[in-house]
Amino acid sequence: MEKTGHQPRVYAALGGLLSALLAVAAVLGATATRSAAAPAAADSAAITCGNRVSIGFAAPVTGPAGPLGQQMQRWGKFAETRWNRAHRLDIRLVLGDTQLPDTAQAVRVAENLASNQQILAVVGPAGSQEVEVSTAPFRRGGVANISGTATATALTTSGKRRGFFFRTVPNDDQQAARAVAYMRRTLRASRVVVVDAQNSYSVGLSDSVQRLLRAAGASVQRESVNEATVTDFSSLVTRIPDDTQVVYVPWQLAAKAQQFGEQLRASGRNATLFGGDGLYSPDDFKLPGSHVTAFPVALGNPTIRAYQRGPGRGSSDLFGLPSYVAVEVAARAVEKACANGEATRAEVRRFINRTNIPKAQSLLGFPIRFQQRVKRPLGPGDMRTPATYIVYRINANGQFVKVG
Amino acid sequence: MELPLLSVLDTVRDLGWSGAVELFRNGLALGSLYALIALGYTMVYGILKLLNFAHGDVYMVGAFIGFGVLNAFGGSPSPTIAILPLIVLMFLVAMLGAGALGVVIERFAYRPLRSSSRLTVLITALGVSFFLQNSMLLLFGAQFRSYQSFQLGSDNPAAFEPGPLVEPLFTIGGVSFQRIQIAVLATSVALMVALTLLVAKTTLGKAMRATAYDHEAAAMMGIDVNRVIAATFFIGSVLAGAAGVMFGLMFSQINHFMGFYAGLKGFTAAVVGGIGSIPGAMLGGLLVGLVESYAQGYLGGQWSDIAVFAILIIVLLVRPTGLLGARAIQKV
Repeated sequence: MEKTGHQPRVYAALGGLLSALLAVAAVLGATATRSAAAPAAADSAAITCGNRVSIGFAAPVTGPAGPLGQQMQRWGKFAETRWNRAHRLDIRLVLGDTQLPDTAQAVRVAENLASNQQILAVVGPAGSQEVEVSTAPFRRGGVANISGTATATALTTSGKRRGFFFRTVPNDDQQAARAVAYMRRTLRASRVVVVDAQNSYSVGLSDSVQRLLRAAGASVQRESVNEATVTDFSSLVTRIPDDTQVVYVPWQLAAKAQQFGEQLRASGRNATLFGGDGLYSPDDFKLPGSHVTAFPVALGNPTIRAYQRGPGRGSSDLFGLPSYVAVEVAARAVEKACANGEATRAEVRRFINRTNIPKAQSLLGFPIRFQQRVKRPLGPGDMRTPATYIVYRINANGQFVKVG
Repeated sequence: MELPLLSVLDTVRDLGWSGAVELFRNGLALGSLYALIALGYTMVYGILKLLNFAHGDVYMVGAFIGFGVLNAFGGSPSPTIAILPLIVLMFLVAMLGAGALGVVIERFAYRPLRSSSRLTVLITALGVSFFLQNSMLLLFGAQFRSYQSFQLGSDNPAAFEPGPLVEPLFTIGGVSFQRIQIAVLATSVALMVALTLLVAKTTLGKAMRATAYDHEAAAMMGIDVNRVIAATFFIGSVLAGAAGVMFGLMFSQINHFMGFYAGLKGFTAAVVGGIGSIPGAMLGGLLVGLVESYAQGYLGGQWSDIAVFAILIIVLLVRPTGLLGARAIQKV
């Protein structure tokens, strides 16, 4: 009797608990769906543009990657100055120091920039791993980010950042295909050592090059070294076989690659050093006979010359140049969104997506428009073709000469 | 799947004896730099029981001073004076500059805190480290500066012909030893011997040992403890300044961040050797350099830091005072 008397109450309690759990799950599920699929109200909140609007700028200006971040910052500030001189609506870059490779700091910077309602778009961050971790804060804030340096192919081809992430630099697969084709056809390389620099950019590019080289029948030895922390490459040099034809070094610290190249030469090895766009730095990397892949920049361009005379103090800092273009893309979109005196982040995202900078106005040497859907090796947010790489060879005077 | 051990054995076989000698040469040169840095850590710890984390940054400043002197005389590859006197001058100015910086750091950052807890001084040391690092960042920017030692003094630098520093001095088993590697090794050994003699044979050395043993007793015996501590910082920083210039001459590229990792390795070397022990710092430095070199050569770049810090852990587990460290006798 007692048993039967208690049962309805137990069932009622269990039923109530289950209902409560379902309700909580439904609320959580709805919240999760909303945060993954669409940003919160942040992107539809209009701000008054006035005479000046803010654009976030995430770059590693201190820490091991400081030399790269400062190049980006100098180009970014240069873009800001030039834009403000030529337009009625001024832009102001709000800097966030991401301290690459500290990804936790990149998340904090992304959260700070996204929570600042005055910021309508963000340029950066620099590293692909930083883009990966800062996607959630930027999406939550409904703010688009445009990187001038993050090249990991999956950032766009995964389709997960459609409409939120853009880049003004071609991706790894585009670069790897170009490098491998040149190594095989022109340098006739069949024995290659690939040395990654233990960061997201370098490992991604090394993987792509290694895969393509092996597919083409070349013998590939993979090495790895932390370019940011290692100061002596002599033991790495010892590991490189004497008969190696090409050493592929997709590094970002050109000065370190130069040091590695000098140690390679001093050891008597004659392999050709081949770098990625991170080494397109004529001021720091000037080992004769070396090659790099880079986007087709016209070094005689008046803007680049003005940079050299101004903030570059004689240096062209080409690694930071796509960040200039990224600021330009963001500024153009913000200007259009502000046409009626007010702008939302959603409007800015839409205008970034519709960017169309003609070749004549593009510092990168090709028109800048963004891919809308996945079409490998491109994904949404990548620059549409003919965004591709060309090959430079460093001549005896340390000058970069276009060879392919 | 290939077993890692087999892969290592393959590498050992592929590199052969010449590879082993080459790695030994590399490790010795790198280790002698670590040893010089470790000496600064160990001297300051021996006398103040302070881990001077700013020491790596003093080394970085020394490298920058050497670079400044190099540029004052026309810079690499074609300086306006002969290479040998130029290098001597770089060493002298960098050593004096770094030494003076060490004295200033001791006087203004550590001396006022001498009666504070060790944790307070430790945090201050970290603060001084960041202060120096970021001051150099503000003054000189983040970009790398190059000694261009590969081409320094080259007859034909435009064609990227190597200069005399990287020319082989002699060859053993097919492995050439460059002049700069031998010079760095010889200079390091000379400085270490000089330091050992200074500590063992001079009045200042005796005062340093007395101060390290007991500050108060040393003061009561008429030793000017403040001056001895300042001298210790000066000497330790002089060695760091020399190491900075050696680094620039051997590896070319310097920047504001270089002191962090070098300081970490130097500190590791000091602990492995037995912090507070001068021969221990030398031994630790060479050991860390050799382990790093062989690990990178035989295991690959991913393993070099793992191997170095694994040695640190093993030494601390087996012999907590370090290889040559003495167990402190406690008064009961």
